[in-house]
Amino acid sequence: MSRPIDADDLALMAAGFEAAMAGASDSREAEQSIHELGWADLLDAAPARGAAMAFGALGATGSAAGLLDDVVARALGIGVSLQTCVVLPAPHQAGPPARRRNEMGGGLVVNGLVSARAESATAAVVAIADEDGGGFARVDASSLRRPAAGGVDPQNAYRRVSMEVPADAVTPLKTEAAWESAVTAARAALACQLIAGARWMLAQARQHALDRVQFGRPVASFQSIRHKLAESLVQIEGAASVAEACWRDPDLLLAGLAKALAGQAALTAAAHAQQVLAGIGFTAEHRFHLRLKQVLVIDTLFGSARSLPAEIGRDLLIRGTAPRLIQL
Amino acid sequence: MLDNPASPTPEIFRRDLTAWLDANADELTPPYEGAGSMDEQMGHYRDVKRALFDAGFGRCGWPESVGGLGGSPLLRAVVGEEVNLRGLTDPNPWTMIEVLAPTVIDLARPEISARFVPPFMRGDEMWCQGFSEPDAGSDLASLSCRATKTEGGWVVSGQKIWTSFIQYAQRCVLLTRTGEPGSAHRGITALLVDVDSPGIAFSPIETMHGRQDFAEVRYDEVFVPEDRLIGEENGGWQVAMDILPYERSSAFWQRGALLHRRLCDLVAQVAGAGDRSDNSAQSIGRAFQSLVAFRSRSRDTQHRLNAGHQLGVETSIDKILITWAEQQLFESVRDLLPGVIEFDDGPAAAQWRTDYLYSKAASIYGGTSEVQRNIIARRLLDLGPES
Repeated sequence: MSRPIDADDLALMAAGFEAAMAGASDSREAEQSIHELGWADLLDAAPARGAAMAFGALGATGSAAGLLDDVVARALGIGVSLQTCVVLPAPHQAGPPARRRNEMGGGLVVNGLVSARAESATAAVVAIADEDGGGFARVDASSLRRPAAGGVDPQNAYRRVSMEVPADAVTPLKTEAAWESAVTAARAALACQLIAGARWMLAQARQHALDRVQFGRPVASFQSIRHKLAESLVQIEGAASVAEACWRDPDLLLAGLAKALAGQAALTAAAHAQQVLAGIGFTAEHRFHLRLKQVLVIDTLFGSARSLPAEIGRDLLIRGTAPRLIQL
Repeated sequence: MLDNPASPTPEIFRRDLTAWLDANADELTPPYEGAGSMDEQMGHYRDVKRALFDAGFGRCGWPESVGGLGGSPLLRAVVGEEVNLRGLTDPNPWTMIEVLAPTVIDLARPEISARFVPPFMRGDEMWCQGFSEPDAGSDLASLSCRATKTEGGWVVSGQKIWTSFIQYAQRCVLLTRTGEPGSAHRGITALLVDVDSPGIAFSPIETMHGRQDFAEVRYDEVFVPEDRLIGEENGGWQVAMDILPYERSSAFWQRGALLHRRLCDLVAQVAGAGDRSDNSAQSIGRAFQSLVAFRSRSRDTQHRLNAGHQLGVETSIDKILITWAEQQLFESVRDLLPGVIEFDDGPAAAQWRTDYLYSKAASIYGGTSEVQRNIIARRLLDLGPES
C-alpha cells in the first residue's frame, strides 16, 4: 500500500470482507477470499487496526474464517500465508502450547487448539514454554490433522490438539518477536470479534422484542426485557471502548482487559438474547444458537472472561499497584 | 506556574501541572488525617481551588468570557484527574463546577455568567443544584416548586431535597414550576438563585455514611430577579437536559481518578500482606476491569465533548459503568480486607468505611440505575414506549 490506511479505506475494506465472508460456502473459501482482498497487505500496513476491522467483520457475519492464524503469524514476524497455521494455547490459557521433552531427545508435547486451517496448511508454528527455554518451532501441519468430529460449534472452527512431536519432525524457527506480542494481537482482535457478535445478538433480540406481541403489546414494552437489553448495550459499549483503545496503544495488559470485557459482554448479550428470543431462540432454525456456540468457543481462546481477571489481578499484585491505562 | 497558557496540548499541560503540584505538595496536601470533617474538607477545597486559579491551571479550559484562559475542555479533565489521583480534595465539591457551570455559561445571560462563574472557578463560591423534590425524584418533570411572575422577577415557593453543599453555597441552579400544575416538562423554568435570599431555609440530612452532604430546602416567597433566568422561560427542561449529561459524564471522569487511587491503595495493601491468592487476584482483576471499561468510555466522552459534540442520552452508559466500577471496587475491599470496614478504628479504616458506604449511593444519585436503563432502552435502543 502506497499511503497510510485511513478510516474510509478501512470502512470500504470492511464492506468487502463482510460480503466475502457472508458469500463464502465454508470457512476455507472465506479465508481464500479475504486473502485475495489484500488481507496480508492490510496486516502489514495497519496490524492492530486492520485486525480489529477484520475480526469485527467475522463477528458481524458469524464467519469461521481462520484469520487468527494470520494475526498471530504477523505478530511473530512470520510470513502470512494460507499454508501456515499456528498452534493456539489450550482453552482458557494464553501460555505457549508446547513443552520440550528431554526424554524424547528434544521432541515436543503439544497441548492446544488449532483452527480448521490445519487441515490444508503445510506448516504449523508452535511456541514453546518459557520454562523449556521458550522459542518457536515449525512442525509439519499434516501431523495436526484430526477427524472433524465433535465440539459445540457446528462450524468446527477450532479443535483440540494433544500430541507428541518427535525431535526429528521439529524445525527451530528464528524470530525476534516474543510470544507476548502474539497474545496481545490475538486478544485485541478476538475482543473485536466478540463485540461484533454481541452486537448481532443484541440486534436480533431487539427486533424480536419489537415484533413479538404477547398480552396485546410488543414484549419490548415490558421493563424486564428493556433492562436486559440495556444492560447488554452498556457492557458492549464499555468493552468496545477498551478494544478501540487497544489499536491506539497495543499493550498486553490492556488487550487482556479488552478480551475479558468483550467475553463478558458477549456472554451477557447471549444470555439476555436467549431469554428475550425465548422459544424461537432455542430452535436450530434460528441462527442465534450458531452465534452462541461461536461465542463459547472464542471466549476460551487466549484467556477467557473467567480466567483473565485472575491473571490481570496477579499482574497488579506483582506490580503492587494498578497502572494508569488509557490516557486522555 | 503555567508557562504557556496559549492552548497547550494536554500532554504539555499535564507535565507542567504535575510539576507544579509536586512542587507545591506541602501546601496542597490536606492538613487533616483521613476524610476530615466537612468544614475542614470545604476549607481545603477552597484553598486548592484558589491556588490552582492563581497559578493559571484552574482557569484553563474555561472560556475567557467567564475569567478562563480558554483552551480545550480536556485541560479541565486533566486538572480534575491529577487533583483526585493525589487525593488533594474531596471529589464531590470539586465536580460541582463541571456539572453546573458549562450549561450556565451557555444558557444564562452573559453578564450573569461573567459575574458568578469566576468566583466559582476560584473557589471563593460554591454552587448547588436544586432539582429533586420530595415528590419528584426519578420523575423530575413532576416537580412543583412554584415560581410566580412578579414585578422585576419571580417569587419562588416550594420545597427541594438532596441539595448538596447548600450550607457552603452562595448560588443555586433551581428548577421551578412556571406552567400550570401538570404541565410536566413544558412548564419548568431554571433560575440562578442567591442562597442568602430572604425566605430560604434548609435543614441538613444526615446520610448513612455519617455526613451532611445533602439538605432539605424550603423556599418561602423568595424573590429572584429576572436577569437570573437560565435559558428560556418555561424552557427549564432543556436546561436540565443540558446539565444532566455533564452530571452523568464529565464529573465522573474525575471520580474515576479517585477510584483508581483507591484501587491502587487496595492493591498495595493486599500485595503488602503477601496475599497472592487466586481469590484476591480474581477480585482485584474484576475491579480493575470494570474501572478500565469506565475510564475508557469516559475518555471517549471527554474527546467527544472536546470535538464540540453536545453530550446527550448516551452518557447514561457512562453512569452505569462508573456505578458498576465503584460498587465492585468497594465490595472487593470488603472481601479482601476482612473486618476492616466492620470493626477497625483509625483514619484508614474510617476512609474505607466511608467510601464503602458512599458507593451504595452510586446507583441512586444523578438518576437511578433503573432510570438510566429506561433511557437507554427508549432512546438508544429505540424500543418504543414502555407498557
